[in-house]
Amino acid sequence: MRRREHLTPEEARELEAIDLALAGEPVDDDLRELDDLVHEVRATAPEMSPALAARLERLVEHGPESATEPVQPRRSRRWVLVPAAGTVAAAVVALVIVLSNGNGDSSDAVIHGMSGGKDAPARATPGSAAADESAPTSGRRAQRSQSAPAPAASSRSGPAFTPQSARKVERSVFLVLATPKDKVESTADDVVQTVDRFRGIVARSSVAADDRSGGEATFDLRIPTSRVEEALGALSKLGHVAERRQDLRDITASFSSTQERLDEARAERRALLRALGNATTQARIESIRTRLRLVRAQIASAKGQMASLQRRANYSRVSVIVRGNSKAEQVGGTWSPGDAAGDALRVLEVIAGIALIALAVAIPLALLGAAILFGARVTRTRRRESALDPT
Amino acid sequence: MQSFDALYRDSARDLYAYVRTLLRDDASAEDVTALAFERAYRQRTAFDARRGSQRAWLFAIGRNAALDELRRRRRAAPLIADVPDEQVLALDEQAEQSLRRATVRVALDGLAARERELVALKFHGGLTNAELAAVLGTSESNAGTRVHRAVKKLREACNAPS
Repeated sequence: MRRREHLTPEEARELEAIDLALAGEPVDDDLRELDDLVHEVRATAPEMSPALAARLERLVEHGPESATEPVQPRRSRRWVLVPAAGTVAAAVVALVIVLSNGNGDSSDAVIHGMSGGKDAPARATPGSAAADESAPTSGRRAQRSQSAPAPAASSRSGPAFTPQSARKVERSVFLVLATPKDKVESTADDVVQTVDRFRGIVARSSVAADDRSGGEATFDLRIPTSRVEEALGALSKLGHVAERRQDLRDITASFSSTQERLDEARAERRALLRALGNATTQARIESIRTRLRLVRAQIASAKGQMASLQRRANYSRVSVIVRGNSKAEQVGGTWSPGDAAGDALRVLEVIAGIALIALAVAIPLALLGAAILFGARVTRTRRRESALDPT
Repeated sequence: MQSFDALYRDSARDLYAYVRTLLRDDASAEDVTALAFERAYRQRTAFDARRGSQRAWLFAIGRNAALDELRRRRRAAPLIADVPDEQVLALDEQAEQSLRRATVRVALDGLAARERELVALKFHGGLTNAELAAVLGTSESNAGTRVHRAVKKLREACNAPS
């Protein structure tokens, strides 16, 4: 039950009289009894012994001599310990997360990056692409991009991009080469020569001149898939690779279904030919011939599709853009102030990320710690107060 | 902030009287008073004037030490309260004043521990209601109500026929 907390005017007056009496000031006559009580109680106050007085004098003058109890740290500091520990733990967790993400980021940069220097290591090796392709994903579109196609990578023509007997893969590559603006045309010539060297085909090409930027040359190439890695390595040497994307499409299912249709049509043709030999009536002969014409057309169509699919598997489609760039000379060279600014921004982003993660962990921990400390404090106070309860 | 020396001069007697009244044992009261001053000395830099007066802070430290002693004592063996020499003397003297004081002392001893503590804090400690509230960790209004109730019981006990 909650007790009344507000004093009546009379009670407040009596308390005031007690305070006056304690201060040695006169009280109203009708409250003389309280004044007397104050003086009587004060007169019964226990007195310190001379020994205690001397002990306290020494304490005040010289400080605690022998430690009656160990030096207690300030309570406020203890309150700080839990949030501080939480913050440290959160920082460690954040660091671990960032570091682990950092590994992922670096690989992501390789996969999704849109620019890179020639010296950058190639992470997306043909082997890794092969691993992706090996999954039975008929009609699946596997897409990869690379920021840094290194010559080393291109020289490694693994089995992945070589169409295996059981699998048919169509490959497309998009390559942007940055070159000094006065070298666009010569680089374009080099592209053609490179294609010839690898027995490729220039399906389409165009060169647009521009005095200011140096212009741009675009090529639509077909290169034998068996040599495409080698060819890409050679092409990459012609300029700075500003961008490189690869697109892999598994066409095995299309190939198989077309082959099946072709086999069925051929079987039907054989059956029709046998039926034609056994036909006795003119009407039956005409009917079989009509059907034979249709089947031959189907066979021709299937053969055409087979040839087309085979070409798509045997020849990789390579789109190359040679772009004049006044900054191309600097690429892969010195570390510019712009690069420094970019790096600084990245560092700030990482720091902000760490701080955010640390806060996300530290705040709940701090709240939990504060609640535990508060509970402990309340419990301790209650235990102390229980000493005043009657036994 | 008042110097520790000044705080000691101003409060030592009152603190001892309060602790002694609460514990009803000279030896324990002396130890607890010394311990309270020692703690206060060590924690003197932690004093925050915004949370109350220095005197209230010292009494809160003394109270905690006294309550810890009471708990420790409860876990050990029940204390037989000291019989003050003065009481014997007073009874011997038979003086009216001494009789009144003996009556007050007996009435005070007869109060429950919580009420006896409130009277001691108010009368021996000379704390204001605000300081009392700071020591007890309650509101000023509640502290005033509790003190008034305790004083009322003391008055009734003093006026009760023996």
